[in-house]
Amino acid sequence: MRKIFSLIILIILALGVYICISEIPFGKPGTAVGNYYIEKGIEETGAVNIVTSIVLNYRGFDTLGEVTILFLASLGLGAILATVQNKTRGVITPPSLILTTACRFLFPFILMFGAYIFLHGHLTPGGGFQGGAIIASGFLLRYLGCPQKRIRQSSFVAIESLGGIAFIIIGLLGFTAGGFFLFNFLPKGVANTLLSAGIIPLIYIAIGLKVGAEMAGIIDTLIEES
Amino acid sequence: MVNPILLIIAPLSAAFIIPLMGYGLKRIVKFIPPLVMGFNLVVSLSLAPKVIKNPIIVFLGGFPPPFGINLYVGPLGILFSCVISLVGFIVSIYALNYIKQGAEQKYHALYLLLLTGATGIVLTGDIFNLFVFYEILCISSYALVGYTGEKAGIESASKYLIQGSLGSSLILIAIALLYGKFGTLNMADMASRIDSVHTMELFFPLVLFITGMGVESAIFPLNAWLPDAHSSAPSTISAILSGIAIKIGIYALCRVIFTIFGATDILQFLMLLGLVTLLVGEFSAFSQDNIKRMLAYSSTGQIGLIVFAMGVGTQYGISGGLFQFTTHALSKSLLFLTTGYMIYRAGSMKISALEGMGKKMPLTSVAFTIGAFSLIGLPPFIGFPSKFMIVYSVLARQSGLYIVFLALVLAGTVIEGAYFFKVIQAIYFKGERKDDRAKEAPLSALIPVIILVLLIIGIGIYPKVLTSILDSSAAELLDRIGYIKEALK
Repeated sequence: MRKIFSLIILIILALGVYICISEIPFGKPGTAVGNYYIEKGIEETGAVNIVTSIVLNYRGFDTLGEVTILFLASLGLGAILATVQNKTRGVITPPSLILTTACRFLFPFILMFGAYIFLHGHLTPGGGFQGGAIIASGFLLRYLGCPQKRIRQSSFVAIESLGGIAFIIIGLLGFTAGGFFLFNFLPKGVANTLLSAGIIPLIYIAIGLKVGAEMAGIIDTLIEES
Repeated sequence: MVNPILLIIAPLSAAFIIPLMGYGLKRIVKFIPPLVMGFNLVVSLSLAPKVIKNPIIVFLGGFPPPFGINLYVGPLGILFSCVISLVGFIVSIYALNYIKQGAEQKYHALYLLLLTGATGIVLTGDIFNLFVFYEILCISSYALVGYTGEKAGIESASKYLIQGSLGSSLILIAIALLYGKFGTLNMADMASRIDSVHTMELFFPLVLFITGMGVESAIFPLNAWLPDAHSSAPSTISAILSGIAIKIGIYALCRVIFTIFGATDILQFLMLLGLVTLLVGEFSAFSQDNIKRMLAYSSTGQIGLIVFAMGVGTQYGISGGLFQFTTHALSKSLLFLTTGYMIYRAGSMKISALEGMGKKMPLTSVAFTIGAFSLIGLPPFIGFPSKFMIVYSVLARQSGLYIVFLALVLAGTVIEGAYFFKVIQAIYFKGERKDDRAKEAPLSALIPVIILVLLIIGIGIYPKVLTSILDSSAAELLDRIGYIKEALK
C-alpha cells in the first residue's frame, strides 16, 4: 500500500517536472532582461565581462548577501568548534624535503595567480570568489607541506571583517554620491583596460581577500580539529 | 526620510565589525545588538505611517526593476520589520547577562546576521534576493542552535541543517524553473507574466516552494527538526527562533502564493495544512513533560493557526493571521525568556522541577502566566483580539465546511489551555521549594520581560493601534495588481 502510494506521488511529480521543463525555451534568444544586459551591460557598467557586470553591478546586493553567507559559514563553524572539547592531536609525520621545498616555492606564485584572477574579474572569466578560492588553495598546500608553520587565525578574521566592511563602505559611498546603495559612482573608464568599470575592481579586491581569508580560516579551523 | 536600506545594512555591518572588536573591546560587544536593534525599531516605526499611504520602492545600484534588485517596503514588510526589530531588541537586552558560555562574540555576530536575514526577506522585492537572505537566516539558525557545543545541541543542529538545506535546495530549483519560464527574477515582473502560461506548468514550482518554505516554517509533516532545535538551544535563541525565524517562512510562503502566483485556488488546501499542523502541534505539546519541548510544539500549533487564518483568504482573515503572528512573536518570546531563568534556577527542564516557583520567582511566574493566557486567547491580553478576529473571519464565510474547521481549531485551543494550565498549576499550586538557590531573575532579564508584558496587555486592551497597519498589510497581499503597478512604475 505504502509503495503504491509513493509510486503515485512519484508519477505525479515526474509529470509535473516534465510539463514544467518541456515548455522552457532552452537555447532560444534571450529574454527581455537578458538582452538588456547583453546590449547595455558594457555601456552602463564598463565591465566587458557580462557575468561580472551582472553579479557586481546589476545584482550587487545579492553578492553582498552571498559574501555574508560565506562569512556566516566560517563564523558558525568557528563558534561550534570553539566549544567542542576535543583537542587531541594525531601524530604528524614530517613531510619530505622535496614537498617542503616545492611548497615554499609555489606558495607565492599561487597567491599571485589568485590576485591576478580577482584583479581581472571585470575583464576575463573569474573574479573575487574564484581568486579567493585559489588563494585558499595556496594556504592548504602550505598546511600540508609545512604543517609546523601556522598563520595566526586572528589575522584571517581581521581580513574577513575588513573585506566585508569595505564592500559595505563602497556601497554607502555610492549611496552618498548617487542616492543608491552600491551605485557605481566612479568613472567607468575605457572598456577592456585594467582601470575601468568603476567600483567593480574595488569590490572584487575586497571579495577576493575576504574569500581567501575565509576559506583559509576554515581550513585552519578544521586542521586544528583533526 | 531615512532610507529603508539601512534596516538591512545596519545589522549587517555591525556583524562584520564584531569580530574586529576581539582586540581590546571585548566587553562592549554585547551592547551592540541592542543598540542596532533599537535603531532598526525606531527607523521601522518612523517609516510605518508613510508606508501605509504609499509603499517605498528602493532601487539598489540605481537600476530600475526588473534589471536591478529593488526593495519593496510596503505595510506588510514594515509590520514584519517592526516585530523583528522589537523582539530582536528585547531578546538582546535579555542576552546581556544570560549569554556567558561558549564563543560569546560569535553568538552576537550570528544573532545580528539572523535578524539581517529576516529583515532582508521581508523587505526585498526580488525572488532570488529573497533566497539569499533566506539562506542567511537559515544558516545562522543552524549555527546558533549548535553553538553551545553540547552533544544534544550539535545533534539537533545537524538534523536542522540537513532538513533545512534540503528545503532551501527545493526553493532554488523552483526559482530556477520560474526564471527559465519568465526570464526575470523580480517578483512583480514575474507576477505580471504568470498568467501567460498554463496553470499545469506552474504546479510543480509551486509544490517546490510550499515544501521548501514549509520546512523553515515547520508546517506538518515538515516539522520534525523543530522540537529538538528549539529545546536544545539557549533560551534567547529559542525565543528568537520561535518568535521570528519560523514566521519568516510563512511570510515567504504567503508572498509566493498570494503575490507571485495569485493562487487563490489552493487556499483551502492551505487551511487544511494549517489545521493539521495546529492539531498535531497541540496534541504533541500536551504529552510533553519537558517545558521547552512543550513550548516548541506549541509553536508548531500556533504556526498552524496562522497558516489556517491565511488560508481563509479574506481581508479579515489575513489581518487576523498577521495579528496572530504579532501575538505569537510577543507571547512566545515572553514564555521562552521567562522559562530561561526558571530552568537556570531549577537546574532542569522538567515541568515537575518547576514546582513551587511561584513563591520563589514571583515576577517571572506572573509574566509566564500572562504569556500563557495570551497564547490561549484570554482577555485582556493580545491573544484575545487576534484569535477573535480569526474566528470572526471564518464565521463570516458562512460555509458549513468552514464551521467544521473552526470547531477543530477551537478544540485545539482547548488542548492548548489544558497544557498551559498544567504548567501554571505546577508553578503555583504544587510542591514546596526548600532550596535557597531559586531566587528572582536579575534585572537585565526582568526589564525585557516587563516590556513584553506591558505590550501584551496594552495591545490587548487597545488593539486598534494595529488596525491600520494590519488592514493595509492584508490589502497588500490580496491586491496583486496594485503590487505590480507600484513596483514597476
